[in-house]
Amino acid sequence: MFEKHIKAKLINSTLNFPVQTLCISLILTILLSIGLKWFIIDDDFVKLLPQNIPSKIIWDEIQDDFGASETMVIAFGNKNESIYRKDVFDAIWDLTVILEEYKGIEEIISIKTISKLESIDGFMEVDDLFPYRNLNKNDIDEIKKYIENNDDIRTRLISSNGDYTSIMIRPEIGINMPALVNSIMPLSENILENFEIHYAGQVYITGTVPSLIQEDTTILMQLALLLMVIVLFINFRSISAVLLILTTILLSMVSMFGFMGWMFKFTGLFIFNFTMMNTSMPVVLLTIANSDGVHVLTRFFREARKKNDVKEAVGTTLNALFLPIFLTSFTTSIAFLAFVFSPIEQFIGYGISLAFGIMWAWILSTTLLPSIILIKKWNLESKFIKKESILEKFASYIGNIIFKSPRKVLIGGFLTVFISIFGFKYIEIEVNTAKFFKEGNPIRESNDFVDNELTGTMNFLINTVGDHKNPTVLKDIEGIQNYLESFEKVNTSLSIVNMVKQMHKTIMDDDPQYDNIPDQKEKINNLFFMYSMSGDEDDFSSLVDTYEYDNGLVTGLIKSISTKETVVLVDSLENFISKNTSSNLETRISGLAVFFRDMVNLIITSSIISILVSILVIFIISWYFFQGASWGFLAVVPLSCAVVLNFGLMGLFGIELSHITAILTAVIIGVGVDFAIHYISEFKRNLNKNIDLDEISKHNVDDVGYPILLDALSNMGFVTLLFSALTPLNYMGGLMVFAMLSTSIGTLTLLASLIELNKKYLKGI
Amino acid sequence: MYLIPLLLANMLFAMTGEELSILMDNRKSPDDISSDMNMEITNKKGKKRSLKVKSISKDNSKKQILWFLSPADDKGIAYLKIEHENKDDEIRLWLPAFKKIRRISAKKKADSFMGSDLSYEDMTSRPINNYKFSIIREELIDNNECYILKSEPKEGIESEYSKHLTWVTKDKYLPLKEDSYDNQNKLLKAKSFKYIDLNSFDLVSEIFVENIQKKTNTLLKLSNLRVNTNVKDNLFQEKNMKRLPRK
Repeated sequence: MFEKHIKAKLINSTLNFPVQTLCISLILTILLSIGLKWFIIDDDFVKLLPQNIPSKIIWDEIQDDFGASETMVIAFGNKNESIYRKDVFDAIWDLTVILEEYKGIEEIISIKTISKLESIDGFMEVDDLFPYRNLNKNDIDEIKKYIENNDDIRTRLISSNGDYTSIMIRPEIGINMPALVNSIMPLSENILENFEIHYAGQVYITGTVPSLIQEDTTILMQLALLLMVIVLFINFRSISAVLLILTTILLSMVSMFGFMGWMFKFTGLFIFNFTMMNTSMPVVLLTIANSDGVHVLTRFFREARKKNDVKEAVGTTLNALFLPIFLTSFTTSIAFLAFVFSPIEQFIGYGISLAFGIMWAWILSTTLLPSIILIKKWNLESKFIKKESILEKFASYIGNIIFKSPRKVLIGGFLTVFISIFGFKYIEIEVNTAKFFKEGNPIRESNDFVDNELTGTMNFLINTVGDHKNPTVLKDIEGIQNYLESFEKVNTSLSIVNMVKQMHKTIMDDDPQYDNIPDQKEKINNLFFMYSMSGDEDDFSSLVDTYEYDNGLVTGLIKSISTKETVVLVDSLENFISKNTSSNLETRISGLAVFFRDMVNLIITSSIISILVSILVIFIISWYFFQGASWGFLAVVPLSCAVVLNFGLMGLFGIELSHITAILTAVIIGVGVDFAIHYISEFKRNLNKNIDLDEISKHNVDDVGYPILLDALSNMGFVTLLFSALTPLNYMGGLMVFAMLSTSIGTLTLLASLIELNKKYLKGI
Repeated sequence: MYLIPLLLANMLFAMTGEELSILMDNRKSPDDISSDMNMEITNKKGKKRSLKVKSISKDNSKKQILWFLSPADDKGIAYLKIEHENKDDEIRLWLPAFKKIRRISAKKKADSFMGSDLSYEDMTSRPINNYKFSIIREELIDNNECYILKSEPKEGIESEYSKHLTWVTKDKYLPLKEDSYDNQNKLLKAKSFKYIDLNSFDLVSEIFVENIQKKTNTLLKLSNLRVNTNVKDNLFQEKNMKRLPRK
């Protein structure tokens, strides 16, 4: 009763005071849009990572002790030309010197920064390998000789053919990576203009992806919007109608971003900033606001055709659509509010803001939009009102087919969904940042180049805790390194053991038989002492705690690794360590790859929970508003089938289940629930109007089939996102299109036939 | 044009920077010094470690022998340094576990000494000819009237610093504190010095160095100071490194 009272009041005020309604809704929208002053676009990727996963905590602790684990790699050279040339060395020097002065960079690893440890006539010398810029041929030959005799340096800095060298940049922890990467690139391109350059590494990828996603989204979204306008125009055949829908979309969007700004101003929480994770927000809101507008306008035109009176047509439209549009908006908002349970904090802000945006779109569709319709002068004799559009005729045609043999349609639909279940077992859980780019993309190719020719683009970390002056401990670490290096994806590894062996050989006059770990603790201690007197202990600070030597780090320099390979690597390594190391050594495995493994599992679990909770909530809300559990069940049928179909098809077509695809699947719920609610709501209205049961389904499809098809079709513009070079955007476009198609078709086939077959029972509820 | 500021500077301060540096350099010093050194190094996380060393030096530390007493891991290690005017300094290390004496290279000046905040450059005197000196102002520190002496390495002189500002007492020409700036002219280290008067020599008894950029610090305390004990030149030989002195 209460809802009906509010509904009547709102509809009456819109109908009787359209100018006032328009002004109030505009003023409120303007007030919200003032929040844009505090709307912030933040491209810092690191903030988006969930912080409480154990492997993230270990990873943070390791980075706190030993510095950032991931790097940006600048590899350069000329194919098949040796790097041992003056111009290459000048470039290494110039770029390293500039980068060393850069704010936000903790360390540069290049030929220029490497220390040379040599034994000359019983004289241990720790010196710069590349001590001054103006090298002559002999100097370069000396450096070449040293590098070629030193595998650790060669593997890290020189390509297998000796034609490329790399400069690795280790940023300070917490630095804004996009800002760092964007400032380094023009600089290196200037200094390295005569060379082929390859950028790679996680720092580079995380620094580049957000801006590329923003750029691609902006361009492709404009294209999607253009396609939407074309589809809408073809069907409405009225510029005014298209402009009205665009106005609703635009104002909803501005209000949502304004709301984010206000929320950030009042709470100071970064979750209300717009980040890479929020990229899908405009896409989702655009879809929903468009859906609301399309339903209102198509209904208005149908009613105007019948009633030949604008006010009456608007009144009927609002009476028919007030509840379904409210319900679709409300359920969708609830589905997005379920994101507050996401392990990624950013999604809490995402869910809240999108829920607000959706509800505001509802307000605008039921106040501003009908007010403008009422104020505008319509020519009721015009073709676009008087004559049915192509899609309208098509919807009617589809209705005829479906209701000729609803049982077959139902069985066919369920069979398709059932078959897709077999795809579940082929689903692969996978996060590989290199695969953010399509094959053939220059960034992916550079990454592959550094993976295959140089040190690799990721680091795998093993934190070693124990007395790092104890030979047993060091030999255990050496064993772990040997085992780690036996994996195809691991290029090399580095730990304090490499330094101890090198110092041992040096102190024993470069005799190769001493290229091993001394067997007495006192000797190892003497080696460290000797180095501290001759070199700088800080040289070891990324390998061991030089204060107490009780905490060390083995870094595996690896190629981009898949989640599946990470699982195998971690399990094998843990098994090896448990069987082959002494009790004096404790180890903890972490790093970006391990963190991704844990993060993706967590996000997939939370997304699945979010999907299930949303379906349950939609069921309960529909049960309440449509007054019957059967209606609640019917409301979630197309949606649940779409989710099952989505996962099944992902498995069958080899689309990997990552944190991105899992989250986007949860988004399907939000955009896909609308059609079923519109269909059910109209059916209930038709039941109440006592329309003949033989005709009722056909009548229903005629009324809501057209807006459903128009809504779905106008959103096909997201297909443009499939043309992006970035796979996350491809997934987003693909899933939006899939969500629209599967839920609209699901509604017009599965739901429609299910209702048709049970109409007598449903009438009796 | 340049003469006026120069004249003004000379009128302002009773002496020039060069004169002050010469006076500092000419301060009376003992022939030899024996001491126990305790070095406490604190890293940016507040973790501390300390070393105890017995030191004997001669000729203004041009000859120096150090025996490491603690931590236990380092006990028995010895270090011998002999500086030469026209050739590289000789540095030797006795490594008891290997039973070997190894020569080590004369370090890069900016490298840290034993992982402390003192670099080798900090531990050697500044040759007057290599620096430009000027007095920039006067200040009162702990009731001591001080000149603030600016020392800048001359062109071509390799240094980790672009300049030092040293607070030098007007009465005894003792440096009380010093700020050292890196080559980007940013403050790198702040040092302070304490002295004791022993046999009419003003000897450094405590040095505190704070690396402002790394947020680490080192406290070096000298105790059991003895001067002019007639240390012989032949003490600074390899054979004496292998055995800890009795006292």
